[in-house]
Amino acid sequence: MKRLKDVKCGEHVKVVKLEGDGAVRRRIMDMGITKGCEVTVRKVAPLGDPIQITVRGYELSIRKFDAEMIIVES
Amino acid sequence: MSIKIGLAGNPNSGKTTLFNALTGATQYVGNWPGVTVEKKSGKLKGNKEVEIIDLPGIYSLSPYTLEEVVTRRFLIDDHPDVVINIIDATNIERNLYLTTQILEFGIPTVIALNMMDLIRKKGDHISCKALSKQLGCPVVEISALKEEGIKDAVNKAIEIAKQGRIKKFALPMMEEVEEAITQIKDLLSVHNTTLSLNNDWIAIKLFERDEEIVKQLSLDQSTMTQIEEIIKACEIELDDDCESIITSERYAYIGDVVSHVVKKGNQSKETVSDRIDKIITNRFLALPIFVLIMWFVYYISVSSLGTIVTDWTNDTLFGEIIQGNMQNFLETANVAPWLTALICDGIIGGVGAVLGFVPQIMLLFFFLAILEDCGYMARVAFIMDRIFRKFGLSGKSFIPMLIGSGCGVPGIMASRTLENDKDRKMTIMLTTFIPCGAKLPIIALFAGAMFGGASWVAPTVYFMCITMVVICGMILKQTKLFAGEPAPFVMELPTYHIPGLKGVLIHMWDRGKGFIIKAGTVIFVACGLIWFLQSFSWSLEMVEGEGSILASIGNVVAPIFAPLGFGNWEAAVATITGLVAKENVVATYGVLYGIADATEETSDLLSVIAANFTAVSAFSFIAFNMLCAPCFAAVGAIRREMGSWKWTFIATGFQTFTAYLVALLINKVGTALLLGGSIIEAIIAIAIVAIVIISVFIWGRGKSQETSFDV
Amino acid sequence: MMATIIIAAIIFGLMGLVIYKKVKQYKSGESSCGCGCSNCASSKSCHPKK
Repeated sequence: MKRLKDVKCGEHVKVVKLEGDGAVRRRIMDMGITKGCEVTVRKVAPLGDPIQITVRGYELSIRKFDAEMIIVES
Repeated sequence: MSIKIGLAGNPNSGKTTLFNALTGATQYVGNWPGVTVEKKSGKLKGNKEVEIIDLPGIYSLSPYTLEEVVTRRFLIDDHPDVVINIIDATNIERNLYLTTQILEFGIPTVIALNMMDLIRKKGDHISCKALSKQLGCPVVEISALKEEGIKDAVNKAIEIAKQGRIKKFALPMMEEVEEAITQIKDLLSVHNTTLSLNNDWIAIKLFERDEEIVKQLSLDQSTMTQIEEIIKACEIELDDDCESIITSERYAYIGDVVSHVVKKGNQSKETVSDRIDKIITNRFLALPIFVLIMWFVYYISVSSLGTIVTDWTNDTLFGEIIQGNMQNFLETANVAPWLTALICDGIIGGVGAVLGFVPQIMLLFFFLAILEDCGYMARVAFIMDRIFRKFGLSGKSFIPMLIGSGCGVPGIMASRTLENDKDRKMTIMLTTFIPCGAKLPIIALFAGAMFGGASWVAPTVYFMCITMVVICGMILKQTKLFAGEPAPFVMELPTYHIPGLKGVLIHMWDRGKGFIIKAGTVIFVACGLIWFLQSFSWSLEMVEGEGSILASIGNVVAPIFAPLGFGNWEAAVATITGLVAKENVVATYGVLYGIADATEETSDLLSVIAANFTAVSAFSFIAFNMLCAPCFAAVGAIRREMGSWKWTFIATGFQTFTAYLVALLINKVGTALLLGGSIIEAIIAIAIVAIVIISVFIWGRGKSQETSFDV
Repeated sequence: MMATIIIAAIIFGLMGLVIYKKVKQYKSGESSCGCGCSNCASSKSCHPKK
């Protein structure tokens, strides 16, 4: 099971499932990361965290800690 | 008939720009998510019957963030006649997500498709007609920035507001979900709900287990259990949870709509934003670029361009022209000498010293406005997040601090966007460390007097303050008061855009105006008072210097500051008056020493300060005044945001204590290293600071163990 | 002498006015932050009437 946290820069993946619960999870979904959507990891911040991803045509930054609950497949 | 129009949309979609264009207001616009925290209302230009309300930008109508709750309450309680939903066309999918929720709400809605010019530039095409047909509501193309199409949007809104209800919108859903929601609706129809709301919307919210709605409806226990059963059954059937199901349904529907409406041009072209980001948020370059930009901002505004203008205003404008002519005028009018002194030395000296720095402050505001407008702020949060996370804050906490470099009060207020209470308190405590516009004159004055206007002073002070935020954050995190899980950080990185000169200038002027007004009011009175206290003795005889009331008060306090290197009564008084407003520090020196001596080349004020300080004690003085308790207005803001006097005292006490330790360290170590001072004293100072930090750690750990026992 | 009285009256009158206004503002729960409230995102909490 691959998580968004472990996806390499420039890689293109598809979201399979979101784990976790509560406000963070809802926020992530509201921002457009839902089951089946496609995500590209763009870059990692200078200090290694957070990461920048492209989802639904816009740029989003998300912490690795939060990205861990997003399960993806290539 | 009066009409209420609500402006709703995603953060950064141009709501406030549209609001300003419609009402003629100059509300603050920034290119980062979450600029508008509260709703604001204004009257439509040319039609006073129409009220327009600018709502905070939101991504969804979930009940989780403050902005979302504010917007929801407005929609539920204030019953707007019509909503204009602004959509950033470059980001249509995510923007339509909110649209589906607003449409469900059942309030007449007009969609304003903003930033279509960018879409065309990209070579894409969006059909308004098709979108209107898909969603069943009017769609108008606008450009909020160029003020195109905004009349059409408002007229359309007024038109459908007068018509009343429009076509009902229902999100097409999977059979299972549809069924579950119909069941909930049936349950609801039996009960008379207290809310005059669309049952469809309530049913969907109940299906999402929305706590706000559950609270507001106050349904009886058996109904709630029945609803819960329906949700559970559906969740099991679809092997997903309720919120997920609805969100996916929405995005699936939007995907379908978009495929009918948007025609993509040649894809995979690297945008300008991408190219800028390649450099600005580059792994190795990002931090140096941030340092360079802030260095540049403070260098230009304090040291180079600013100094030239300020020197002229201080020496020539206030020194020679205003003060000189006023003196001549008063003498020819045969005014009593004490009054001449009050006006020329006290008021013109003090207020003039502050106003002299207005050009520098204006320049700082100019650069800050550009930075805020162009989209760099969100990148700074992105870059800094890792550091801030170290002490449990998110990069989002950096935004109040950046606003705080203009003025601490809105900085403190901006901390409201932080969801977590502990994070908010900590951000409030640390925000006023960042030098605000009013502290800038202190830096500029001493940089000019002690360091020959050296370019490194202002940026160094700025970065020292940021460093103190980081260090204090890490220390505070060790105490029981702030220990806890890190807050989440999910933030949009908006597209860069070139800031409009008009907007930047308006913003700069609006903020700068505040300083001029303040100089004319609070500082004006304070200068009169300071002049009186320094010109009279306790027996109300006119004296010079040492015998005055001010000197005797200052001399009582001065010993406290002696270890910091500025134990003279003037510095003590300046620091204390700085609590009223930070400009007073400079104003006090202006009153005490006079701003300029027309006969000399260098200004009088600078040379007197140079005589009273060493380079080290000057830096220690700057450091103390940057970090200590902020002005009364900011303390008031802390009080309001913290909600208790206890926390206000903790915050200001902590700040002042920190300031004292930092200034002590700078003075003792600096003196030992640079001026051949006592090394033993330096070691003692380091030891004191070390002991304080260690005891905070020990105390903090003890406290956290206590709490773990409690649990 | 006349000039002294007139100018003193103007100066003290202005000071009195400023103090009166500030006290009134304070009592009505507004605060003066000196940062151009008209464009502030949170101006409502300082100027609730607007």
